[in-house]
Amino acid sequence: MSRELWAEPIESLAPRLRARKLSPVALAETYLDRIQRYDATLHSYICISDSVLRDAREAEAEIKAGRWRGPLHGIPVAVKDNYLTADMPTTAGSTAPGLSFPRRDSAAAARLRKAGAILIGKTRTHEFAWGNVTPPVRNPWDRERVPSGSSGGSGAALAAGLCAAALGSDTGGSIRMPASVCNTVGLKASFGRISRDGVVPHSWSLDHAGPLTRTVGDAAHLLNLLAGYDPADPACQDQPVHDYTKALGKPIKGLRIGVCRNHFFERNDVDVEHAVEQAIADLATQGAIVQEFRLPLLDYGLGAIFAIELASSTAYHDVSLRAGRTAHFQPDVRTLVEIGRFVTAADYLKAEQYRTVLMDEFRKVFERVDVMVTPTTPITAWKIGDWHVDVGGQQESVLAASWRFTYPFNLTGLPAVSVPCGFDRRGLPIGLQIAARPYDEMTLLRVAHAYERTHEWTNRTPEL
Amino acid sequence: MSDSPLDPFKDILGVDLTPQRLAENLASYHDILKEIRKLRELDLTDVHPAIVFEPTSVYRRGVYRKGIYRKGPGK
Repeated sequence: MSRELWAEPIESLAPRLRARKLSPVALAETYLDRIQRYDATLHSYICISDSVLRDAREAEAEIKAGRWRGPLHGIPVAVKDNYLTADMPTTAGSTAPGLSFPRRDSAAAARLRKAGAILIGKTRTHEFAWGNVTPPVRNPWDRERVPSGSSGGSGAALAAGLCAAALGSDTGGSIRMPASVCNTVGLKASFGRISRDGVVPHSWSLDHAGPLTRTVGDAAHLLNLLAGYDPADPACQDQPVHDYTKALGKPIKGLRIGVCRNHFFERNDVDVEHAVEQAIADLATQGAIVQEFRLPLLDYGLGAIFAIELASSTAYHDVSLRAGRTAHFQPDVRTLVEIGRFVTAADYLKAEQYRTVLMDEFRKVFERVDVMVTPTTPITAWKIGDWHVDVGGQQESVLAASWRFTYPFNLTGLPAVSVPCGFDRRGLPIGLQIAARPYDEMTLLRVAHAYERTHEWTNRTPEL
Repeated sequence: MSDSPLDPFKDILGVDLTPQRLAENLASYHDILKEIRKLRELDLTDVHPAIVFEPTSVYRRGVYRKGIYRKGPGK
């Protein structure tokens, strides 16, 4: 099945750009044209770079001169608006007066530029990357529904074909949730794998930087570029970096797939449950060995991530809070920043103690399995303005339901990826989450690709 | 200077919120507190928290090199 140019993955665009069968200028113009046509209703971008075509012409000249920089050369990539960029303003989604952010490139933006990528624009984030929605961004699969958040601008822009890939950030699921509900791949690598230098902090020990891409192969290309030690990020780890594209196309026969039957499979939308069970069966058909287990300790995770995320965000915004500046934050974000004051130091440290035990429980699990698979979210995209949803026959707050399966991997820092795994009866995308041992992104992407290449989900695009 | 019974509470919280706003925030915190109460039930006495004090970190280049969030004249 041939794809429209705007829907092609980087892994198919890059060889054509390198062989000069495709012009970086034509590619950039394709996305700019679609932004012009569709983003007035999707609202995925807050800013478009005014140097896109100039950068594309430079890429074209360099490639013509034989100076191809790699698979990202000439590829338009969108950047979430909480990454600092030298040539575009950063707002972190806030219009509060008295705040400004430096005009310099974050580590990720700098790596993209060095690789010849074209930073096409800044995508919307919910204010300071809080929350599971991204107002006013709409989901391209149904414009009455949310693209989730907080990287909802990146998810919507990519799904709609307004860029070839996008950067997001993930504190409790903010890369993987938009990826899931927008039918894209979303990769949260291990904590410390990708530098967060120049990403506006939300919660220091939970924040991850990472890409949203069309395919697992594209995620591997982006990870090749973004992974690596950076002393400017105190959490960044000096761990060996691999060529992640070598994980692609490998068989998974004999790999052990873990399925945690509590927490992740107790309350799901029926279509989500069915799609994920089918995905597990499909992996087994490829020779993977499915092993089921339970992790009762997960019952305490929500309190832990709330304590850490709220306390950290409030500490970060302390100056604004005491100056009364938070009164200008969006109402839900203002409330979250203010109520972080209610988290006691003892609660915070208890949450950090809990993390130690949870990480150890996962360590024991990963002695018996190579990866875990779960739904990415228990629900598909919900309607804009809905605060409660039906999940498996029960009414539940969106706040509690949406990130239930993603935040455990922020608490533990384990790598996790969301890949498209089907559609519900309303035609809304469903995501499959795969997680692996710390710094084992190779196995993570190997399994993700083994699933992706035997299905057609990533070929589907929304009608706009 | 007022002598409101809320004053010590405001001091502890370090924010100056109106009684109405404080009540709204406490209501918003209710469901979150339920989850934190569950966490408090765990006996983790012998567990070291998952945070690391690392005295050499400040000697590494760049840890405090670049501010991000700064007060300014506004956008």
